[in-house]
Amino acid sequence: MTLTRVKLERFTAFEDFDLKLSSGVNVLVGANGTGKTHLMKVCYAACDIAKSGASFPDKLGSVFLPSGRSLGRLVKRRGRSSTAAAEVCRGNRSLRVSFSSHAKSFRSATMKGADGWVDSSLGCVYIPVKEMLSNAPGFRSMYAAREVHFEEVYADILDRAYLPVLRGPADRPRRRLLDALQKAVDGKVIIKNEEFFLRNRQGELEFSLLAEGMRKLALLWLLIQNGTLLSGSVLFWDEPETNLNPKLYGVLIDVLLELQRSGVQVFLATHDYVILEELDLRKTEEDDVAFHSLFRNEGGEIACNTADNYLDIHPNAIAETFDDLYDREIERSLGGVGK
Amino acid sequence: MTVFVEGNLQLTVYGAKAAWRFDGDDHKLTHCMKAVDFVIELEDSYQFIEFKDPQYPGAPPKEVDDYIGEFKAGRLDKQFQYKYRDSYLYELAFERAEKPIDYLMLIAIDTLTGALLRHRKREMERKLPLWGPGKQQLPRPFIRGCGVFNIPLWNRRFPNYQIVRLPPQPSVPEI
Repeated sequence: MTLTRVKLERFTAFEDFDLKLSSGVNVLVGANGTGKTHLMKVCYAACDIAKSGASFPDKLGSVFLPSGRSLGRLVKRRGRSSTAAAEVCRGNRSLRVSFSSHAKSFRSATMKGADGWVDSSLGCVYIPVKEMLSNAPGFRSMYAAREVHFEEVYADILDRAYLPVLRGPADRPRRRLLDALQKAVDGKVIIKNEEFFLRNRQGELEFSLLAEGMRKLALLWLLIQNGTLLSGSVLFWDEPETNLNPKLYGVLIDVLLELQRSGVQVFLATHDYVILEELDLRKTEEDDVAFHSLFRNEGGEIACNTADNYLDIHPNAIAETFDDLYDREIERSLGGVGK
Repeated sequence: MTVFVEGNLQLTVYGAKAAWRFDGDDHKLTHCMKAVDFVIELEDSYQFIEFKDPQYPGAPPKEVDDYIGEFKAGRLDKQFQYKYRDSYLYELAFERAEKPIDYLMLIAIDTLTGALLRHRKREMERKLPLWGPGKQQLPRPFIRGCGVFNIPLWNRRFPNYQIVRLPPQPSVPEI
């Protein structure tokens, strides 16, 4: 069972937020500061502890990294004492945490639903904006031993990437995805002494010498190859377009749609027009894609409209930017005509 | 004020020196020359105007989708291109193309985004073309500027040339 709903009360930037989720692809769009990444991190933390059995507030603290790891700093700032809550639902199961703005320790949080939440089969991956594979050697051991100021999503993604290949042959859909990605990156990923290399006809190229966009596709290849992204798992990807040439967006979107068809729930936060157009053009009627447009309402609070098609998103900050560009281009071409 | 009706679209023109339907009965050469829908004359310029309305009331959704596909693929560009060129030649032959001319193209599909329209505008600039060899200004340019619009963008940009969609007319039963 994938995630079905997320509710946030006075949590970080959110005042009172309730979003129903698609079991397929959830695309989060919206201007900076509308909480796309925060939303994904809450959902990711809930998924991650379902498998690990760890504490939800502790995981929230690790992925959000508030100053001094003080849980109370995740309460929306309102100039007075307050209480925040985050609730994530999977069908009829829900996991809820609440805590006050004075909470220093994660132990002071109140939990509900933690016992029924654990499910060892619920895999999840969070791919952050910054690429980590090229900085991998030694990072995990340092992260485990030292207090380094890195959100835990960076250590987690390396843990997933280092997982050995899944036993047995890949089934046909997985093989197809791997072939498509292999073609796009022109090689296979191998790991030697914690270092990632791309191996192809020319030899082995260390990731630090590989284009950053290619590293992202290579990471996806690894996660599919080692079985991290299997049916029933959840993929969170923050701004997949970063450092990726738009010519490769098509491959990326095809892979994400194919993962969704095979039962992977996908969350995507993007600012990119071409990513949205590619998704709109490549999805079929059978695909389950929801576009969630996050925006600040008249009261300045974060709200969300959900649409099945990119063109029905409202408000659409990306399209509005293009309209504005076009307005100015027309002004330059036609001047005062018709005014 | 001049009012034109083209299918279900009504264009109201304010503040023009003159405005006329170009592809009407007065043209007399539409059997051999393509023609834009309207011409607006201002003190210092002309505007050639062409409407395409695939989203007319009752249009089958597939027809609109097909049209969007044609538009995105650039297959409508030639229609716009030849309509402009023939209209320009016609006006030139009648010694009326003496002022700069802008070409305003309307595609009445609400869902065409600013990004798509901007791309088509640039393609039309290349195909009409706006410039001579090496992007040099022609000694006598045959077009000054152009733009491709949907209705919301058009109305926002041209307060003096407002477009409204008329309610569908009830069909008269045959007796």
